[in-house]
Amino acid sequence: MSQSIVANFKLVKGPIYSHCFSQDKRLLAITFGTDCLVYALKAQGAPVLVATLPDHDKIVTAVDISVHGRIVTCSQDRNAIVWEPISDGSYKPTLVLLRINRAATTVKWAANGYKFAVGSSARIIAVCYYEQENDWWVSKHIKKPIKSTISTVAWHENGILLACGGTDGYVRVFSGFVKGLDSKAQAAGSPWGDKFPFGALVHEWYHGAWIQDVEWRSSLEKLAYVAHDGSLNVTDSTGARFSTFSPEGLPFLALTWINDHEILCGGYSCHPVLFTEGSKGWQFSANLDKAGPQPKSPSTAGSAGNEDSSEDLPFGLSALQKFKQLDLKGKVTTSVQDTTHENAIAGLAPFKSTNGSVTEVSSCGLDGKIIIYRV
Amino acid sequence: MEDWRRIDIDAFDPDSGRLTLEDMRPPYGSHVSLQELQPKISQLRSAAASGDFKTAVQIAMSDPPYSADDATKFQYLLAVLEVLTQVRQHDISTILGQLSLEQQDVLVKYLYKCMSIPEGQKQGGILLSWFEKLTQEFGVGPIVRYLSDKNTV
Repeated sequence: MSQSIVANFKLVKGPIYSHCFSQDKRLLAITFGTDCLVYALKAQGAPVLVATLPDHDKIVTAVDISVHGRIVTCSQDRNAIVWEPISDGSYKPTLVLLRINRAATTVKWAANGYKFAVGSSARIIAVCYYEQENDWWVSKHIKKPIKSTISTVAWHENGILLACGGTDGYVRVFSGFVKGLDSKAQAAGSPWGDKFPFGALVHEWYHGAWIQDVEWRSSLEKLAYVAHDGSLNVTDSTGARFSTFSPEGLPFLALTWINDHEILCGGYSCHPVLFTEGSKGWQFSANLDKAGPQPKSPSTAGSAGNEDSSEDLPFGLSALQKFKQLDLKGKVTTSVQDTTHENAIAGLAPFKSTNGSVTEVSSCGLDGKIIIYRV
Repeated sequence: MEDWRRIDIDAFDPDSGRLTLEDMRPPYGSHVSLQELQPKISQLRSAAASGDFKTAVQIAMSDPPYSADDATKFQYLLAVLEVLTQVRQHDISTILGQLSLEQQDVLVKYLYKCMSIPEGQKQGGILLSWFEKLTQEFGVGPIVRYLSDKNTV
């Protein structure tokens, strides 16, 4: 295990598409098949399963926890469910009818925790909020001009601007202003515009490749996104865009801002990659949790020693040795996995931060692991 | 209901039109016509004829006619194919070393495209050695970008 790993939890036998920590980092929610699992983090050892949220009947695609501790899950069964924590540790589900005819792909709470946005394959973003009078979660749709599946959404901290990206290759910023819930003061002085009626298209960028993840840096009014061509892009309200590419060429699936000038990305290369903004713009700066070209470590030196001795063996025995080395012994390849994640990283989230800079980042992967990295 | 996967749910919803080919095209500002492209093609041919393949490849891989119609693209493709197949094996690496990131990506597109037409398949060997040298030099990055790029040549 390399030095950048703080914790490594193999939680489930299956992919974790999305994970989320509660505000106080005591609870961890992950998606697993048609369920959402809630774990309590322990100071020592593996997290303990405290609740299973079972109501979906198709694959759960995303989970998010609000500042108030409400969990929202969305699923390929085209529904979202809000789970209200009850004092005995269980959760009370409320179904949210999204009114979409295809899978829900992603969900995010707004920073204030009173509304959330769901992206879907129905080319619709559903912005949902609770209506007291009807005791009901209302879903309002943003439709135009989305042309394909929405794969990621992100709320600006002001709770009004909603960025999204999808398989039509566009990154768009919409207004998610809900009358009666939001006030105009929230977005006063925003460089993105003056008026934000619900569903208005504030800005759009054409990228071409599928957009895998978008994240705001609200304090800088900047937006970063990763796409399926292996690029990391940073842009702002002027439309100026800076692109840089994954050093290994493989696409990223997730990103998270570390501070104003650093972004961590993760994806098909199975380990996080750090990018830094310098005088020449955004550039690759470091691989986390990846063994470089290995200098001869003591163990390989030892096996090399064995080889030397095998040369002294009689002919037949050395052939035997050779075939023993060729034998995969049940493994698929002879190559050694040099990263802690054994499959693609599907999500990244800040875990710990000091002075506005993230020091620890958690990741979930298709290998069923949650890993916490030290940046 | 056994065959629910086969139900065409879009048929019941007039609003949910499917993606058309037009939706997949990047939003081009203007379209390049064959006349506009002709000078570049002849420039390409003359550079190749004078044996300056480095310049020829550089020209070919800069600003390709993404927005042109298929017939125009094909004319350009033939000119590019001609240049690529005239380059000698041992010059390939030197030429590759002088390409920018964008030019590498364009080159991959033309290599794949050339391999897909009968004219290119006759010259398969040289195209494959271009491809081999390119992946040795730059890894899988250009191929990943090729697969996800909607700008076609």
